[in-house]
Amino acid sequence: METESTKANRVLGVLPLGLWPAAAVYATLFVAPLLFFLVISFWIVRARMMRPSFTFQNYAETFTDYGDVLVFTLAIAALIAVVTTVLAFLFAYAIRFKLGRFSNVFLFLTLVTLFGGYLVKIYAWKSILGTDGVLNQALLALGVISEPVSVLLYSVNGVVITLAYFLLPFAVLPIYGGLRGIKEVTMEAARDLGAGPWHVMKDVVLPQCKGGLLTAFTLCFLISAGDYVTPKFVGGGAALIGTFIENQFTIAFNWPLGAAMAFVAMLATLLAVLVVKFMLDWSLKP
Amino acid sequence: MIGQRLRDMFWIGLSLLIGLYLLGPILLVILFSFNESALTSLPLTGLTFDWYVKLANIDYFWPALWNSAVIGIAVSIISVVTGTLAALGLAQMEPVKASRLIYILSLPMMLPALVIGIALLSFFVRLLTIRLGIATVILGQLVVVQPFVSAIVYARLQTFDWAIVDSARDLGASATKAFLSVTLPVIQPTLVGAGLIALAISLDDFIITFFMIGSGNTLPTMVWGLVRTSLDPTINALATMLIAVSIGSTALALKFSRYRG
Repeated sequence: METESTKANRVLGVLPLGLWPAAAVYATLFVAPLLFFLVISFWIVRARMMRPSFTFQNYAETFTDYGDVLVFTLAIAALIAVVTTVLAFLFAYAIRFKLGRFSNVFLFLTLVTLFGGYLVKIYAWKSILGTDGVLNQALLALGVISEPVSVLLYSVNGVVITLAYFLLPFAVLPIYGGLRGIKEVTMEAARDLGAGPWHVMKDVVLPQCKGGLLTAFTLCFLISAGDYVTPKFVGGGAALIGTFIENQFTIAFNWPLGAAMAFVAMLATLLAVLVVKFMLDWSLKP
Repeated sequence: MIGQRLRDMFWIGLSLLIGLYLLGPILLVILFSFNESALTSLPLTGLTFDWYVKLANIDYFWPALWNSAVIGIAVSIISVVTGTLAALGLAQMEPVKASRLIYILSLPMMLPALVIGIALLSFFVRLLTIRLGIATVILGQLVVVQPFVSAIVYARLQTFDWAIVDSARDLGASATKAFLSVTLPVIQPTLVGAGLIALAISLDDFIITFFMIGSGNTLPTMVWGLVRTSLDPTINALATMLIAVSIGSTALALKFSRYRG
């Protein structure tokens, strides 16, 4: 086996033989399309037809016309990511330390709802959040409100509630993975040495699941910032940058502008994630 | 003592609330698919299967179901083959190099599906001038699903005992024979699990499918159309089917990879 694979390596270069099919898929269906997409972001549209060119006009237009949408998108995505990560941490913490024999039930619940269906979940909230939806009915019945609340659906609230719901199971798992590595003995030792609950949390628990928290936050932030279906169904006027990018491909047919917007949005999102990672590293330094 | 009690109550209450948040919407969708009323609101008015009958009578439901099945099966089979080969290749490499490569190969999972969809759309339509259809949907989904499969299989290979393969080779088995009679049977439950996860992701994919399919429908694009045009529980019937299939295949996948993997 050794000799055959080294022989193959000499012929095919650095990669083991088995990697070639996957690498071919990656190169032809991911790298090449993205490179071409980058190229057309410098093209122009004349008479509704794309024409090869080399202009920064699309990028300039992205900043002047969609700069505020981009900032709004990043803010909403950050809000959703924070809400989801906090909820996920509380839930994972409860599953790990507080629920005893019921913890498996809740963990199973999380795993099963991972794949409930993306559109199905958005649709579910569309029918729950409306003025005659189940949530308003429940709140009316409980006497919490005296007339239906209309700000739930077709607003930013709808987008936050729905996306946080969709992302929650994805956020719980990495955080739970981090918490599983903490031994109760370590926490007790910290307590015996006089650490209060806050110090146990800050110096024992949080540093251990820092990676999980960052993964959860990043995942939620990336998916929220790139989503366009949720705002379309439950967001009303609250459109994110994805909505405008999609429009360039389905309504406005200005693909070069859409491509430029996509690259700017991705770069901005990446920068935001790096800033958060830096801040988290800094704040959880022992 | 009372403080401890209160704290326990707080955690149990919070977990129940979050659990309700996770499970409630899915249960409501299912519940309303069997409810007589044409409105998706309480109170429940009685049990019916009318919405399923109505769904079956929509003329484009059966083609959509067929398309979803063909795409799902094709994507799972191809991705299990390419993903497993990739994982085997990665297992031969130094761990540090391998993990770096896994990170690079996983990039398609981290990009918004919207970007993958529109980049592939531009690539196929403008550069290659390929007609959109089932084949382009399969290719588009493969990009995203393949990294999942290779990550799952690679994780399994971390605990794989390569000594048994060496024994087979020492006893005269060819590399192919050793793979087929030793490696494959051992990792087979993981491959089935990975295939089912691939199937679940494929069946659920809306965004890439939407840009890749041209005309025609899959079940998720049908949901998209129905949500925009009709508001009766026919959507709930379709949604319930999708929930059943995706949760079913996930549960099966977990069973396969946990108990025998």
